[in-house]
Amino acid sequence: MNRISFLWIFLLFIACEPDDVCSENTQTTSRLVVEFFDIGNLDDTKTVGGLFAIGIDAQGNEVEISGESVSSRDKIELPLNGTTNQTQFKLYKNYSLINDVVQGNPDVITVAYTTSPVYVSRACGYKNVYNIQGFSIETDSDLWMVNADIIVNDVTNENETHVKIFH
Amino acid sequence: MKMKPMLKYFINSFCFLWISSVSFAQNETIDTSNKTSTESIIFQDKYGLRFGVDLSKFGRTAFETDYSGFEVNADYRLGRRLYVAGELGFEEKTTKTDYLDSSAKGNYFKAGIDYNLYNNWLGMENLIISGLRFGLSSFSQTRDRYTIYDTNSQTWTQIQNNESVEFSNLTAAWVELIFGLKAELYNNLFLGFNVQLKARISEKLPDNFENLYIPGFGRTYDSSKVGTGFSYTLSYLLPIYKKDRVKKDDSEDTEQPLEE
Repeated sequence: MNRISFLWIFLLFIACEPDDVCSENTQTTSRLVVEFFDIGNLDDTKTVGGLFAIGIDAQGNEVEISGESVSSRDKIELPLNGTTNQTQFKLYKNYSLINDVVQGNPDVITVAYTTSPVYVSRACGYKNVYNIQGFSIETDSDLWMVNADIIVNDVTNENETHVKIFH
Repeated sequence: MKMKPMLKYFINSFCFLWISSVSFAQNETIDTSNKTSTESIIFQDKYGLRFGVDLSKFGRTAFETDYSGFEVNADYRLGRRLYVAGELGFEEKTTKTDYLDSSAKGNYFKAGIDYNLYNNWLGMENLIISGLRFGLSSFSQTRDRYTIYDTNSQTWTQIQNNESVEFSNLTAAWVELIFGLKAELYNNLFLGFNVQLKARISEKLPDNFENLYIPGFGRTYDSSKVGTGFSYTLSYLLPIYKKDRVKKDDSEDTEQPLEE
């Protein structure tokens, strides 16, 4: 009878279905990781004061990036638009809002990529994996960025830097 | 839903206990004439082909909206405790989660042996079965819809793909360990219940997807190749011949073949 009770308990455990939840630890669609480096010392990271990013849609309208806030940092994660082949972002240096007027120096970057859906699991479904085809900085009268390098083309996780921007 | 499988197993436990208390004395030929010098009773075991259906699959087809299935089974007695047995079936199951809708559809075949652990009294034909099966399935999976899982989708937009894609010519193989019982309710009519513990040996995977459900095997789990199942069977025995079983009062049963 002990063998039969063991079998019932074992079957009950299996029936509890733990793989129906997509855990936060599972890697799903990754954002583009951009790290900022010193143009004077190419191997050193350099903090951008008052960094703030805004997305630009295909019509040229500004799109607020969910979870984004102003802070001085040397790394930023940007969500790519999975329905198009490229996404533009306006990256501000020394961003501030004074009397409802935006202050700071905006530079516009354009990321071009291909998108592929990749299966994750039954609970998470599919994630998008991006392959960067091009990265450019739009010229304007007052650029704080100097140039950029694509380091990793496959955007699969946020543990590595995909693009380096030198300033 | 977490309650559904738990409820199923509680119902199973009740039925297991109910069936095990059901047994009817059989009208068997009992020859009490002495064949040896010590006292002994000779009674006869029926040998034949038993075939039946899985009632639980009818029930699930009627009450589960995402499921339809059908299974027939058969077994043939080889010896006093040994049977060769098999099942043949068809299943179609739809699996829906928040991010993925898919369905699996196909046929399966299982073959193996059953071993009767129960010592029947005086010509009864009940069984407590332990058995082994080898199972094969041929099926297809259809992915109906998926939503790209993106925790940052509030910025741009949530992406959904509604293109129905079929992955066909899939196969899988597994082994099963079976425990159950069969009770003879009326003359040659048996009611049975068993649970199955399965382990997948091989499967053909669809490209950039997985087999969420395999007909005959059941749902698959991410963490292991193990699966479970159960059946309620109703079967009928076609007796073909009988074998004498001599029971001595002071020793184990021995078999003597019936003289043709």
